[in-house]
Amino acid sequence: MDLAAFAQWVHDTALSDWLRHSLKAMPIIEAIHVMAAATVFGTILVVDLRLLGWPGVQRSFSKLHHELVHWTWFAFAAAVVTGVLLFVVNSVTYYGNTAFRLKMLALLLAGVNMFVFERVTGRNPAAWDRGPTPSAARIAGALSITIWLSVLFIARWIGFTKGYDFSIPDDVNLDLNFGQ
Amino acid sequence: MFLELAQALSGSPLSIWIQSHLWVTPLLQSIHIVMIGVVFVAILMITLRVLGKVGNEETFATVWHRFSPWMWAGIGVMALTGLVLGIAEPVRETSAFSFWLKMSFIVIGIVSALAFGRALRPLAYVGDAQQFSGGAKAVAAGTVVLWLCIIFLGRAIAYDVEVWGSLHLGPVESSLR
Repeated sequence: MDLAAFAQWVHDTALSDWLRHSLKAMPIIEAIHVMAAATVFGTILVVDLRLLGWPGVQRSFSKLHHELVHWTWFAFAAAVVTGVLLFVVNSVTYYGNTAFRLKMLALLLAGVNMFVFERVTGRNPAAWDRGPTPSAARIAGALSITIWLSVLFIARWIGFTKGYDFSIPDDVNLDLNFGQ
Repeated sequence: MFLELAQALSGSPLSIWIQSHLWVTPLLQSIHIVMIGVVFVAILMITLRVLGKVGNEETFATVWHRFSPWMWAGIGVMALTGLVLGIAEPVRETSAFSFWLKMSFIVIGIVSALAFGRALRPLAYVGDAQQFSGGAKAVAAGTVVLWLCIIFLGRAIAYDVEVWGSLHLGPVESSLR
């Protein structure tokens, strides 16, 4: 099964059909996705700014990282679950959407950057735990902020480029001119 | 009254300019969402310090001084981007029940943050959370819940009819965005 066929299969599932016809499900799923994405970005930003040494390097990096990493992963899990549900609703359209593909690529890059940092630079932070960070750590922090900002910006672009591939329920009267 | 004002605003040069440049709204919304992350996590960090979950080796005042400038700056940028987004689609915003509820919650959130900071900032507590009263912890946790509601209402503006039904203030229509 190729990816296009998979997207079509997802679109044809009962869950996809139910989500498309449930008027209340989408705002709830989208809102939780925004809450989760905001928490992922914000908690990662706190750690990345510590890597960059801004505004300071007094706090222990490993303690800060330990305190926040659970929140980041919890929010990331919520973002993945809600993100998968959003994909299920509109899988065929998302599959063909350039912004969606770019977002997936940016998420992959964020993962690679984090993996490299955890395995190499961040493996033994004792030498710089309460002081200026090495160049590699600063680069990882700057890259992380850049990539996660890209994820959020591209994600918002998806909503303006994907269009809709499902029929409107009969009892909903749409104003497709948006009140103009 | 608001609807007439909104209709007049939608014909203003700035509103028409934003509507005719299709990249402006997604750009402003993206900045708005980035700032949600900044503000929400700044509030979350202050709350977690009150609850004794993070930064217990530091005083509350230190944590407050580290994160509150991010919170206020983020709220400022959100107000600015939100204002321009409102000018771009004034009828859509002002006819949404979610919009007015969101604005009310934001006022409560800002006032409570000001009062909270003023009350607890002088306290030089170091150590576990036992030194904060149950009331302070409840207010701190309540603030996080309040901002989660604000985020929900921001998204719900696009689904006002679906979420609120007859409480929607404009014609019954769906914007589906």
